[in-house]
Amino acid sequence: MSTTTQSKTGPRKLAFGMPTPDEIAAGGIPGLSARPKLPVDLMDKLNASELEEVEDIELPTEPMQINMGPSHPATHGTVRIVLTIDGETVRDSDVQVGYLHRCFEKEAEYATYTQVFPYTDRLNYVSPLLNNVGFALAVEKLLGIGAAIPERAQYIRVIVGEISRITDHLTCLGASAMEVGGFTPFLWMIKIREWLWELLEELTGARLTHSYVRVGGVSQDLTEDFIARLRATLNRSLEPLAECEKLLVKNRIFRDRMDGVGTMSAEDAIAMGWTGPCLRSTGVPYDVRKDHPYLVYDRFEFDVPVGSVGDNYDRFAVRLEEIRQSMRILEQAMQQIPPGPVLLDEPRICMPPKNAVYNTIESMIGHFKLIVDGIKVPPGEVYSYTEGGNGELGFYIVSDGSGRPYRCHVRSPSFIITQSMSKLILGAGIADIIPTFGMINMIGGECDR
Amino acid sequence: MAESPSSPIKSSIAAALRETVSPPPPPAASPAAPSAAPAGSAPSSAPPQSELCTIKLDGREVQAKKGANLLEVCLAHGVDVSYFCYHPGLSSPAVCRQCLVEVVGQPKLVPACFTPIADKMEVNTATPRVLTIRRQMLEFTLVNHPVDCPICDKAGECTLQKQYQDWDHVGSRSSIPKVHKPKMQDLGPHIVLDSERCILCTRCIRVCDEVAGQKQLTMAWRGDREQLTVAPGHQLDNPYSLNTVDVCPVGALTSKDFRFTMRAWELFTTSSVCPGCATGCNVEVHHAQGEIWRLVPRENLQVNKYWMCDEGRFAYKDVRHKRLTSARIGAGRGQPAQITSVDKAVAFAAERLERLVSSGGTIGLVYSAQTTNEALFALSQVAAKLTARGASVRAYVSGAAPRPERADNILRSADVNPNTAGAKLLAGVGAGDAKALLADLTAGKLKGLWMVGTDLPLGEQAEFEIAPLADGLELLICQAVHDSPLLRRAHVQLPAAAWAEVDGTFTNAKHMVQRLRKAVAPQGDARAHLELVTQIAKKANLAQNEKWQVSARQAFLQMVAEVASTLPPGADPAQSVAAGFAAADWGKEFLPVQLRFANSRG
Ligand code: SF4
Ligand code: SF4
Ligand code: FES
Repeated sequence: MSTTTQSKTGPRKLAFGMPTPDEIAAGGIPGLSARPKLPVDLMDKLNASELEEVEDIELPTEPMQINMGPSHPATHGTVRIVLTIDGETVRDSDVQVGYLHRCFEKEAEYATYTQVFPYTDRLNYVSPLLNNVGFALAVEKLLGIGAAIPERAQYIRVIVGEISRITDHLTCLGASAMEVGGFTPFLWMIKIREWLWELLEELTGARLTHSYVRVGGVSQDLTEDFIARLRATLNRSLEPLAECEKLLVKNRIFRDRMDGVGTMSAEDAIAMGWTGPCLRSTGVPYDVRKDHPYLVYDRFEFDVPVGSVGDNYDRFAVRLEEIRQSMRILEQAMQQIPPGPVLLDEPRICMPPKNAVYNTIESMIGHFKLIVDGIKVPPGEVYSYTEGGNGELGFYIVSDGSGRPYRCHVRSPSFIITQSMSKLILGAGIADIIPTFGMINMIGGECDR
Repeated sequence: MAESPSSPIKSSIAAALRETVSPPPPPAASPAAPSAAPAGSAPSSAPPQSELCTIKLDGREVQAKKGANLLEVCLAHGVDVSYFCYHPGLSSPAVCRQCLVEVVGQPKLVPACFTPIADKMEVNTATPRVLTIRRQMLEFTLVNHPVDCPICDKAGECTLQKQYQDWDHVGSRSSIPKVHKPKMQDLGPHIVLDSERCILCTRCIRVCDEVAGQKQLTMAWRGDREQLTVAPGHQLDNPYSLNTVDVCPVGALTSKDFRFTMRAWELFTTSSVCPGCATGCNVEVHHAQGEIWRLVPRENLQVNKYWMCDEGRFAYKDVRHKRLTSARIGAGRGQPAQITSVDKAVAFAAERLERLVSSGGTIGLVYSAQTTNEALFALSQVAAKLTARGASVRAYVSGAAPRPERADNILRSADVNPNTAGAKLLAGVGAGDAKALLADLTAGKLKGLWMVGTDLPLGEQAEFEIAPLADGLELLICQAVHDSPLLRRAHVQLPAAAWAEVDGTFTNAKHMVQRLRKAVAPQGDARAHLELVTQIAKKANLAQNEKWQVSARQAFLQMVAEVASTLPPGADPAQSVAAGFAAADWGKEFLPVQLRFANSRG
């Protein structure tokens, strides 16, 4: 240091009395020793629950109201939480949804059944194909053609659905890890998600808004090497996935933020209408795929992971395991998938092949009528439910016999689970809101439908 | 599909889908519902028991009049048998064979449209045999049909498309080249024919023969070369020619005015009444994007049955063209007026009107027969208020000049004003006509004139010549839809909404008060005549919050109640206009239905 000119003029202060590099190098930073010591040596304590036992740092507080959201950097999903806090503790909260409302249900009344598919893409937009499948199954149930859907189409629906479930869970886990400070798992999980989405893009033509499923089957067959590429992608994902798991499961910080936070009992979860990974985290093994099998789910071996405590960590662990189970289903589906058509051969429901449309008047008319009038669905009402990314995804449709739904309601899992948010964060710290909200995985598009 | 009952799933779809095509459209969604017919004169009393017979229709016992048309009985009971050549307003030649059904005991299938029913007849419309024949007839019809839907005006409302989708819906089995016929043949001033699309149903021929009474169309050639044609040296130019386009089940006959302008399924329909003449044909206004694209007749058996004349179809053009779209105020006498807001012009008119009333002098009020009853009723209320203030008021009924050459015994009448009867009734017994108005203007008997509708029985040139007569007036208020020479000399020029832009009623020559519905928004600053009268009356302190000032419906209700109070109960609408008013009904309100979902055409 003595050789530099700076030493003559004295070290340059950076800001607010922070030590300069020179001072640090020289050792002995003035002022630090003058800071007050905490009454207890915190470094001896091992985890957060014990920290709470430290009673002698009580500061005088009074309740205040603050807004978290609707546009908050750490919540994934547009939601407004009006908090009444006492110090760091949440005394009351009012969770307000509706900031992403796009009138799905009303729009559906003005669209033909086929035109509703793009709207379903935008419900849970991290697993659009699960919504596509759910809606198609509802219309098919009303048409009474469920059993007639070609087998290959059913397998394809399972395959694209399970891929979507994986991407849904990856998004939830990665984002939540990031929100509590683990940026690496987020990047890796999103990377895996991207590989899968690339695959879906190749198949459906769109990265996110696929609109791939049709009433009566799917819009086109798998690409030639789809199965091979899917297998390769799954194999390739295993390693980063395992790494992510290692990075999080035994991570002290992560565990402290997740363990015992946002706990829900099985009884309460059922009472609040929970389904999906959140319900399973409380120990209830309800999975529509197992309990009310649809498509060809009864032909696969897979387990339904459940948690024991119902806290954030259980929700995390259940989702992580479900990714593995989905991969298991995918592996079996790839082996079993039969050749054959992918769309029902019923000209009043499914579009005729393009070649015939351009060259014969019969198919041209069929095409025209399906586009202009829509699929004529017999009058009646139906509730059809599938296992979506976040739980039971139900479509309730009333038909008046015309080509568009008279009424279309979605039982979106997020909406129902989000109603418990206030209960989950009552008495928790402000910082606990973020992982809890993350693990509930509210998806605005689906919640506000 | 229906022939393969081996597959339980497929036949269940067939059953399920067939359900959906049979029930008639719900009344609220049906733009064809005749709604403004006078109450009381409609119901045809049920026939006496002895004329009824019972037949078995698909195993169901139904009762109908002896000798009734089997196809009509089927339709009345919600059984769709599919047909092309039958039309309720025309005779039945049974040429298309699409309506074949099975009558038990008869060896061959019979055309329903040509079979009178008899007691104990057993009819089956959905046996495999009938369904197969029905499909084969469609296959036949389609063998030589061009793949034209994307460029065909009928697409989306095409009966052939509908029948194929409902009853055939299987792919083509033919690989031989199609027989080609001439396309784009000019048949007359309004119509183009594409012979390849024609399915030879002869409906168009019968419309000319039976409705217009002019035998202009015929079939020529035979077999798969058969085609529609006009007699050599003739044209399809009768005044009802465009009805052929409506009845044509396919896109063979297209209207030159409409073709290639708008896709049928994107149109919205609003039911209204044609403003073309005193007959008041019921129409559907087809509109989209705030513009009217065509008018088509709406069934009303008491007025126009299923038809309207060609001239009426073009009435929508007046809504588009030569409109007065902003208010102007000025010194009158043809000096340039200044564009202003409607509110300012109304205030100006009211202030000048009040001044005129206090200074004394006769005020003329013109009731135009082109204007709705509600607006004219409002004007009559204003007249009463003016009289009560001591002003001397004279009423005149005006309108476009009669055109005797257009009158026939079919629909067209010489009086080209849609509301002459209503205007005469509402203007009161002492009202003068347009001639009296001109005489009074020439004699300088009027100090002020307020015209609700500036229509005069004069050509444009004649109007130009008489316009300076208005210069003697101290105040001329004109509410007008279109620009005109007389309007240009007014002190206050107010833009009024056209017939398709307002809710209201017209009274036709048969004393039927018929409902107009607002199809599109008024152009520019235009407002309904009723609204303008209401606002001037308010500003001039003539009437503040009276019932007729609230809405067209309230004005209608008040008008009907007041007219009815002058009559003995149970008066026959055929006898007097007033009785027609007393029997009038405002009808239901409904939103415009998009044609693709209206289930009404094709
Ligand atoms: S007439 Fe009908 S079926 Fe023929 S081309 Fe036109 S729309 Fe298509
Ligand atoms: S032009 Fe139309 S209405 Fe006339 S015969 Fe042909 S299909 Fe029938
Ligand atoms: S409708 Fe009966 S034969 Fe044509």
